[in-house]
Amino acid sequence: MSEIKNNKKSSDTKFWKGLRDYYDDPEILKIKANEFNDGVTDNFDPDELSGISRRKFIALLTASAAFTATACTDYRDKGEIVPYSKRPEEILPGIANYYASTCKGCELECGILIKTREGRPIKIDGNPEHPVSKGKICAKGQASILNLYDPDRISHPYIDNVKSSWKKLDTEILAELKKASENNKEIAIVSYRINSPSTYKALQQFKKKYPSANFYFYESFGEETKRKSWQLCYGTDQLPKIDLDKANIVISLDSDFLSREGNFIENTRLYSTRKDIMKSPDFNRLYSIEGGLSLTGMNADIRLRLKPELQDEFILSLLNELLIKRKVASIPSGNGLYSLINKYNLENFTRKQGWEESKINSLVSDLLENKGKSIILAGNTLSLNTHVLANLLNNVLGNEKLYDYSSANVLVTKNNDKESWKNFLGNMNDKKVGVVIHFDSNPVYELPSDYNYANSLKNVDAVISLSELPSETTGLSKYIVPINNTFESWGDSFTRSNVYNLQQPVIAPLFNTRQKEAVLLTWTDEKLKYSEDLYHKFLMQSFKDDIYTKQNPSSDFKSYWYSSVHDGFVELPTESTSYKFNISALNNIKVVSKKSGMSLHIQPNYFVGNRKFSNNGWLQEIPHPVSKVTWDNFAAVSFATANKLGLKNNDLISVEVNNTKMDLPVMVQPGLADNLLVVEAGYGRENSGTIESGVGFNVNKFLISDNLNFKYIFENVKVDKTGKTYKLVSTQEHNFLNEPDLRDFHKIRKIIFEGTIQEYKKDPKFLLPEEKVLHGITREHEYKGLKWGMAIDLNKCTSCGYCVAGCNVENNIPVVGKEQVAVGREMQWMRIDRYYSGSPDDPEVSNQPMLCQQCDNAPCENVCPVNATNHSPDGLNQMVYNRCVGTRYCSNNCPYKVRRFNFFNFRDHFADAYYENDLTALVNNPEVTVRSRGVMEKCTFCIQRIMEARQEAISEGRELKGDDVKTACQQACPADAIVFGDINDPESEVSKYRNHDIGYLVLKELYVKPNVTYMAKLRNKNSGEV
Amino acid sequence: MKKTLLDYTLKVRLPITLFVVALAFVVTFYASRAERDGVGYSPDQPINFSHKLHAGEMNIDCQYCHTGVTKGRHALVPSTNICMNCHTVARKDRPEIIKLRDYYKDNKPIPWKRVHKVPEYAYFNHSVHVNYGIKCESCHGDVRSMEKIEQVKDFNMTGCLNCHRHPEEQISYIKNVKKGPENCWTCHR
Repeated sequence: MSEIKNNKKSSDTKFWKGLRDYYDDPEILKIKANEFNDGVTDNFDPDELSGISRRKFIALLTASAAFTATACTDYRDKGEIVPYSKRPEEILPGIANYYASTCKGCELECGILIKTREGRPIKIDGNPEHPVSKGKICAKGQASILNLYDPDRISHPYIDNVKSSWKKLDTEILAELKKASENNKEIAIVSYRINSPSTYKALQQFKKKYPSANFYFYESFGEETKRKSWQLCYGTDQLPKIDLDKANIVISLDSDFLSREGNFIENTRLYSTRKDIMKSPDFNRLYSIEGGLSLTGMNADIRLRLKPELQDEFILSLLNELLIKRKVASIPSGNGLYSLINKYNLENFTRKQGWEESKINSLVSDLLENKGKSIILAGNTLSLNTHVLANLLNNVLGNEKLYDYSSANVLVTKNNDKESWKNFLGNMNDKKVGVVIHFDSNPVYELPSDYNYANSLKNVDAVISLSELPSETTGLSKYIVPINNTFESWGDSFTRSNVYNLQQPVIAPLFNTRQKEAVLLTWTDEKLKYSEDLYHKFLMQSFKDDIYTKQNPSSDFKSYWYSSVHDGFVELPTESTSYKFNISALNNIKVVSKKSGMSLHIQPNYFVGNRKFSNNGWLQEIPHPVSKVTWDNFAAVSFATANKLGLKNNDLISVEVNNTKMDLPVMVQPGLADNLLVVEAGYGRENSGTIESGVGFNVNKFLISDNLNFKYIFENVKVDKTGKTYKLVSTQEHNFLNEPDLRDFHKIRKIIFEGTIQEYKKDPKFLLPEEKVLHGITREHEYKGLKWGMAIDLNKCTSCGYCVAGCNVENNIPVVGKEQVAVGREMQWMRIDRYYSGSPDDPEVSNQPMLCQQCDNAPCENVCPVNATNHSPDGLNQMVYNRCVGTRYCSNNCPYKVRRFNFFNFRDHFADAYYENDLTALVNNPEVTVRSRGVMEKCTFCIQRIMEARQEAISEGRELKGDDVKTACQQACPADAIVFGDINDPESEVSKYRNHDIGYLVLKELYVKPNVTYMAKLRNKNSGEV
Repeated sequence: MKKTLLDYTLKVRLPITLFVVALAFVVTFYASRAERDGVGYSPDQPINFSHKLHAGEMNIDCQYCHTGVTKGRHALVPSTNICMNCHTVARKDRPEIIKLRDYYKDNKPIPWKRVHKVPEYAYFNHSVHVNYGIKCESCHGDVRSMEKIEQVKDFNMTGCLNCHRHPEEQISYIKNVKKGPENCWTCHR
């Protein structure tokens, strides 16, 4: 068995927060020493203060107090209580209703529960009964509630940018459609790939009426390449579910399967079941071979850096090692496989890349030992070659056992291939296209730049855009058709072949908008009048034809329909098929040797997405999981490359690819492959909403097509310094602790404890030093009865940040904007701290969600002059807004730096009070106070949820139990890494974590007695022997 | 020594002014206390509804109309359809009932004046109190005898804490009554 040589004991690791920290940059030393970030006091000018003297001020104050006192002679008006006239039976003011539906944020189609209060949706949670997503949704899904109340939504139909009426719009569009079909001109509908059978039916109905209609589907960052490779290798384009929970070895080739690829919600759940120390110490092992540092890469047990275009060579070398040297399987004859892989050699490849040999030896031996129990995942942005080779690798290792085709991805519609797009563009240029309908899509922004779509659009007689928000495409459209938000719409879709979902509206349209499918239906029949339930009925009919009759249930249709809508999904029977690997898929593989110049890798971003989330302030402000940059995208380069090119953070560089030039800011990112730029797409929007406009850079301009619609990896990239700078804002360098000072306190002050699973198996107590008896100087409170506590399992946590999103929505957290984040005033109650260890070239990454630790001996409490923060008998550190006067002493005294101060009324302060209006106020959780200026705030362990559970317990006449409450972050965590409950109950899950051998408290030696336990990260380093 | 104007101001005028101001403040403070706390507040309502008639003489249970009181935070002022349960037939000809019927017919909600109010930063919960067995009159007074609804007790933090701290005096009808929680997050969050 190989073992990775590592002279350092893992517990010796010195952690560093960023490169500037590692090299003790003088600027960082300054930041560490100062309490406030630079620029915080810039706007403070004593001369600008009011000229009234202190005495005069007090005199005025006294006088006005006297006047007020004498004026109190009548009762204050207390307003009105306006009850319903006819109360709907299901609505009880003050009590939330939940409706099952489907998230339409991306193509995953997760099941959701929409929480509504008094008829307005306020929070989106996962539907726990949904067979695929099992109660979890991503950050986008959770924050999507803000899109419903976005003031930028298009509220009226527009014709030539002039407000118009639906009647006029419909008449004119019907005339255009008629004209086009009479002149035998093409009518094109451009849309994202559609997962909904009934939407597709509506489209077909449209085609029936207008035979010259054609559909064009696309996805800019989808699984298209993977699907193509499946078509070649297995003769099917149905991608199976992958049983990651059965894989002992997971190898990710530039595949961010934990946060951006495949069904990452399901992947995270399945993957983390094999990192669960409470169940079994037989952890899986994750190898990540990648160019950029992705979220998956941060979680890798063993990580190797490789430029994305070299992945083919790597797989071929690995195949050579496995097939020719180790003879894992016989090489099928009659094709060029032997001659293909014979040229490559893993040893040479390893040497050329400068990899540690031990790592690659470990990988090879792991694969040999775990045949049929390992899986190789190729990233969505890699080439078709790489995907085919990865499939071959899985095939020879017998890993196809992990493919589950009984739950495969369904293609209701396929993306159009490059040829059909080129035809369409040609037709447009030849003026053969009469009408183009953008069906809730934004091709002007997303299609490859060599398609020149915007130009071709000029030759079309009528351009119609159905859209929720203004976009690049609506800017070029004659007719803008405003459509319903997803929470105002009916719909259906397939998550997988065995899961059919239903989507129901939970609020009437807020604006003068219509359901997009119904709009199409009204255009197919002049007599058909639009009504709110037009598509509802259409959907019901479609459901009856496709689902009900095929399922043939014993109940009648109406009750089956209602119960399906109630559940939000229907499980369909499927047969498990298997497909044989088709070796002729390899015939087309040609590997060209790669040059060693700079490359550019364009990846999807984590939170904003490419579709309709960039106008969502919450998502813009969640820090990037790796770099912690907010409100921007950037070009990440490795440390060595930055040195070579003389670049530092915030430098603006000019990047040139295939004659397209663009300026991008630099972020020096540890752990990147050398000579590589990694940029995320989805930013730089134009002619769009207030939030998204001017945020980041539009790197979609680089995207061009190769033999497929999109190509994401570019070689021979020219990089030049421009001499200009651009300020990127990262939360990573906020809240530095001045270590030399603290070293005097305690030499082994540790925030992160880490070890390996092998050390743990030898001695479960290896990591944590002997318990020392600590003494306090104050009298301590005894906690009898229930006491709240939390445990966070750092083995399961992938640092995805969905907890932050869930917390934001639940607790009415405001958006503060880039300038305020820059001065350290972000308001999120929860943050994910990221620490590096090892060398800046190839670091190991440790992540730690940090929130208020609800300390028993809370240092914040002692220093509050007005007792606005104090302790509750159930162990909570209470923060009382109406008592707080804003001295900020508590924040200063908090060792975890988790308190947030309202320097402004941020809703009013941000973007000209963008979120301060009657509409957006509807998103607020009525059970949580909306904090105003001058007030300190912090995590409350979701006290409103505790109180709701207490109310229920009292009404049932029982005691409140620890597991009655789920916090918002716990509910959001796709890995179930967060546990909450009663730590005084020895049987509760949270106390088992708390008393576990690897459970530790952060900064324990300060004796603040925190109530959040962290489970130390155990890396699965070397194979086999224990 | 010569008396200066300053001496006079300091020794005579200032103390007198201060005394007058302080006295005025103290008197007004105590005299206006009830108003400030809202005790005795009894505004005119859009419909002259009599609790005395409904809850007193006819002995209708409070929860027949205030349906939310055991279920959630709000007791709920009844929606008009609850009134119409009876008044589609009962006393149809009375002027106040005609007003009621018109509101209902036009689907116009009735803008009842609010009498009892805790500040918005306090999250009072009806159901935890009522389900614990606390009677409505302990806070709202003897509503059954009120022709026009009126506030009779303090609705301020002292009022809340008075009962949470000394329940045996305030709600002695509950046997073995326990003290109510006093920590901040019980009400403020």
